[in-house]
Amino acid sequence: MPVLEAENLVKTYTGARGTIRALDDVSLTVEKGQLFAFLGRNGAGKTTFIRIASTLLLPTSGSVRLFGYDVVTQPTDVRDRIALVPQEGRPFDHLTPREHIREYLRMRGSGAERASDRAAQVLHAMGLDDSADEPALRLSGGLQQRTLVAMILATDAPFLFLDEPTLGMDPVARRQVWKVIRQAARSGSTILLTTHYLDEAEHLADELAVIEDGKILYRGGSEALKSRVGREVRVQFDGAVPAELLRPYGDLFHEEDRSILLTTRAHVPTLTELALSRNLNLSMGPVTLEEAFLKLVGRGIEEDEEGSDEGGAW
Amino acid sequence: MVNWRVQGNAVVRLSYANGIVPLWRSPVMLLAGFLTPLTLVFFLVVIAPSAILPYGIVGAILFTALFTGNGIMNDCAYLRLERQLQQVFVASPVRPTAYALGMALSELAFTLPALVMFLVILWIVTGIGALPVLALLGVVLLTWLMASSFGFLLSTFFRRLREIWPIGAVVFTALSVLPPVFYPMSVIPPGYRWLAFLVPSTYAGQLADRAAGLSVASINGNPILSSASFDLVGLVGFTLLFVLASMQLARWREP
Repeated sequence: MPVLEAENLVKTYTGARGTIRALDDVSLTVEKGQLFAFLGRNGAGKTTFIRIASTLLLPTSGSVRLFGYDVVTQPTDVRDRIALVPQEGRPFDHLTPREHIREYLRMRGSGAERASDRAAQVLHAMGLDDSADEPALRLSGGLQQRTLVAMILATDAPFLFLDEPTLGMDPVARRQVWKVIRQAARSGSTILLTTHYLDEAEHLADELAVIEDGKILYRGGSEALKSRVGREVRVQFDGAVPAELLRPYGDLFHEEDRSILLTTRAHVPTLTELALSRNLNLSMGPVTLEEAFLKLVGRGIEEDEEGSDEGGAW
Repeated sequence: MVNWRVQGNAVVRLSYANGIVPLWRSPVMLLAGFLTPLTLVFFLVVIAPSAILPYGIVGAILFTALFTGNGIMNDCAYLRLERQLQQVFVASPVRPTAYALGMALSELAFTLPALVMFLVILWIVTGIGALPVLALLGVVLLTWLMASSFGFLLSTFFRRLREIWPIGAVVFTALSVLPPVFYPMSVIPPGYRWLAFLVPSTYAGQLADRAAGLSVASINGNPILSSASFDLVGLVGFTLLFVLASMQLARWREP
């Protein structure tokens, strides 16, 4: 049963450089209990979608219904059922992580005892025990981000919006947060997260959507997306290799000063010889979500779109 | 259906989180509440006749209340634009009125000590009684509500942090320093006194002066304009106007 239904959603921003379509006719459903990931580059439209669905922003046209309530005309019914980690959010300076969770839960109607118990539980799960009673201003950026994520996950809200929840965290912390996100999904919350970390989407999402220039290019599982590449091996050459030499062996992409070739096992010996003869570094491995993204979108996920308006638009 | 328990909790917890805790952990923040009104009173002591001083002290009391408007405007805009924290409250069962009231109370926490200090000074200088103090506190309460509503409303329209400081300085100087808040109405030439009533804080100033037992100049000899009732209606009217404007026009969701 879908709990989120977006239909023909459009959001345009008008600025000095004309009108930009941040979302272009996006239709999407998220099922109850699903962990759904929006994957895209900066400025692709992920945050705009989350901001509209979480009642922070009005759409230009189209509709979003959450638990059957329209986010434009019935925002308070929607807000009673959601919680949000905003992108690049920062906690209150003087409050400790424990106080953040406890006070926020109490603001949302929890009793004092339940709020304290839940705070202790989530702090432990998020690996925040050692920093639990330090004011946020003394914590690193990563710990502050973890505090904010902990505060929202502790709510057990029926629908959680997590906009780049692990941005700025180290790999260990990210994995810890993933574990808690998974627990939240298991205990019944439906989760919509945006990320530009491909491993995060691959690890967490039951289903993902790839968005680019405000349009959804793909929706489905990560394995299905990888299989669309139609190649098995990823070969990376560091340094310049003439494109005409590599093209016959597969799909070729250039990223900064490296060439990436998606190819088959049969071509690996030939390509190794080629690298050795030209004194080039070569590395290879199985095709990952990164290549699938690259092939689908035509650009790497870390490549910024020049002049992107997302985030700055109001 | 509004869950009043949630809204009540939000008001109390927010004022604790944004007011009491920061004050407790960084008491130096209290200085901000004292500094400007104390400076203005100091100048009155140095340059003005001694008869003006009680007006200056009453003005300092009102200034602390008016300045909560500037505080809430700054804090709300900062939490929304820089910290993205207001968004956490928008996407939650907390309603904008509860959020604004919680933030306004948190600002009051910063100004309460200054308010108490100026009340003590006023008592030393004028010997003000308990009943007039209560009347004065009523005026302060309405002024705080008016300024806070206005500050919250303004905060929701800013797009960049850089806009806040100059606009805040202009708006709250116009509300607190220019009209007869720190000085008596009698300083303004009789023909121009009506102009002061275009500024909402003038009503508060007049009422506060009356409550403190200070003489209030006649407005063009007009008994209605010169009455306490007129000042009260003006202050209550402007307070209601700003509260309603804040509830109806504040941008809780971006367009």
